[in-house]
Amino acid sequence: MDSVETEKEILRGLGDAVIAYDEEKTVELAKMALEKGIDPSDAILKGLAVGMEEVGRLYEKQEYFVPELLLCADAMNAALDVLKPHIKLETQSKPFSVVIGTVEGDIHEIGKNLVRIMYEAAGWTVYDLGADVKIPRFLEEQKRTGADVVAISSLMTMSMLAIPEVIKPIKAYDPGITVMVGGAPLTREMAMAYGADGFALNCGTAVKETLEALGRVKGRP
Amino acid sequence: MTEDWSLRPDRMTPTERMKALLSGKPVDRVGLYPFARGFCAINTGMSPETFYEDPAASLDAQLWTQKMYGHDEPLKFGGACYGAWEFGGEIRMPTSEWQQAPSVARHPVQSEADVERLELPDVTKAGTIPRTMEFGKLQHATGLVCTVAMGSPFMIAGNICGVEKLTRWMLKKPALAHRVLRLATDFGVAVAKYWVDTFGPENVEIRDSAPTDSNQVISPKHFRDFPLPYLIALHEKVLAMGVKYIYTHICGEQNLNLPFWHEVPFGDPGIASFGHEVDVAKAIEMLGDKCIVVGNVEPRILQTGSPQEVYQRSRECIEKGKHAPRGFILGTGCELPPRSPAANLFAMKKAINDFGWYE
Repeated sequence: MDSVETEKEILRGLGDAVIAYDEEKTVELAKMALEKGIDPSDAILKGLAVGMEEVGRLYEKQEYFVPELLLCADAMNAALDVLKPHIKLETQSKPFSVVIGTVEGDIHEIGKNLVRIMYEAAGWTVYDLGADVKIPRFLEEQKRTGADVVAISSLMTMSMLAIPEVIKPIKAYDPGITVMVGGAPLTREMAMAYGADGFALNCGTAVKETLEALGRVKGRP
Repeated sequence: MTEDWSLRPDRMTPTERMKALLSGKPVDRVGLYPFARGFCAINTGMSPETFYEDPAASLDAQLWTQKMYGHDEPLKFGGACYGAWEFGGEIRMPTSEWQQAPSVARHPVQSEADVERLELPDVTKAGTIPRTMEFGKLQHATGLVCTVAMGSPFMIAGNICGVEKLTRWMLKKPALAHRVLRLATDFGVAVAKYWVDTFGPENVEIRDSAPTDSNQVISPKHFRDFPLPYLIALHEKVLAMGVKYIYTHICGEQNLNLPFWHEVPFGDPGIASFGHEVDVAKAIEMLGDKCIVVGNVEPRILQTGSPQEVYQRSRECIEKGKHAPRGFILGTGCELPPRSPAANLFAMKKAINDFGWYE
């Protein structure tokens, strides 16, 4: 097998091992990638991230559920721990950054964590504020980090009422910040009425929806 | 909507209606289960914290709301964090204006070693149970059915160790998941026994709800292999104590789990309430032969929709459910959002008035 074929095999293997939530295999292949001189950024973006994209699709199709997705993320993260120290600083490119959290009054963060995982898998820089995040904290963190996106999650009907209170000061401060909203009790229509730029019902479509929202916001005059 | 806004006078009290439904006898009209919790607090000008901490105040708020809207649902105490405080963790009362109900502040199990150390608490003293028992005694003194709402074994287990940990263990360390589930089941059985011993089985209603059992969290295969055997064991043991029926809220998206839910005993009949994600017709097809079906106006519509929307959605539910073999009760798909406009609850009542009578 020539080196190009070997590289393809390893990258495909990384993706497959993520899908199979095989942590030992992702670590083994990550080490092998380094030994074979594969660019660690390629191992991440063309291997692990491709696997996580498929995991997102499987989740949307109800073939994978929360436990599978969590373990896929564990497998990805174990390989990232191997690969990240070897990425040269000048080649580190982060496509976008996002501040994410579950809104005040709501401790439910499984959905938010799954969305965080999908952002991370796509190579984004994620600033995770956790759950029950006080309303002003979202904007404070965006100001501190300069993040492109603020993503707000809610599971409860009561706490979802706090979402427009989060969005108003963000948009007043800078309408160019893209705001995403997600969570089981919400709809796209409500997210838009709250002043958000985009909506994702779950993690399966979160990255795609956010990219589209970013396009809409940046495309504004 | 009809031009006539007057409501027909009931021919049965809520107690008579529920007794008739549970014994397979005719009722005057479709009943109403609004799943009203924090709504009762706001309705009576009470803080949610008081509502969830003070049994007498909670009973008072629920009674006033029940009399105001004439609904049929038994009153109940407590939130959805059963297991957390009782097994040694902490819960937090709703103090933020955005917090709907008590929530888990610290799970009692943080590590695998904690699972080995975990023991069944003394249910007469643990966590919120003494207050729930106080509530039960007030119910008993008022001639009401004594309810205890505790959660499915899977929900209790999730409150003990956190849902993410529990679901990871299901796949990677199933023995740990089973140990927590077994303890959660034993806890449920012990609580039920405490109520039966105190009030007698004929005066007790056991209520559980199963939000984390949903397909928004786990697959139907994992539902079959993990929560289901424990649900069956819990319900069998409760029914063996002489309790006539169990009320279960099959919360959220559970369509793929429905064939398995049919294996769970609920009493004859039991009461099964469904999230709005399960169509009422489907719910009746799957469980209508053994349960009174309750369902299922979407909470979001109750909170943000107009009375006309709620009325229309209620009408659809009633028309699908009214002739369910073991009976039908119009309900909300989950807790009535505390800040729902009062007219939206009235819209459910009005829909029953206009479409829910049996002659």
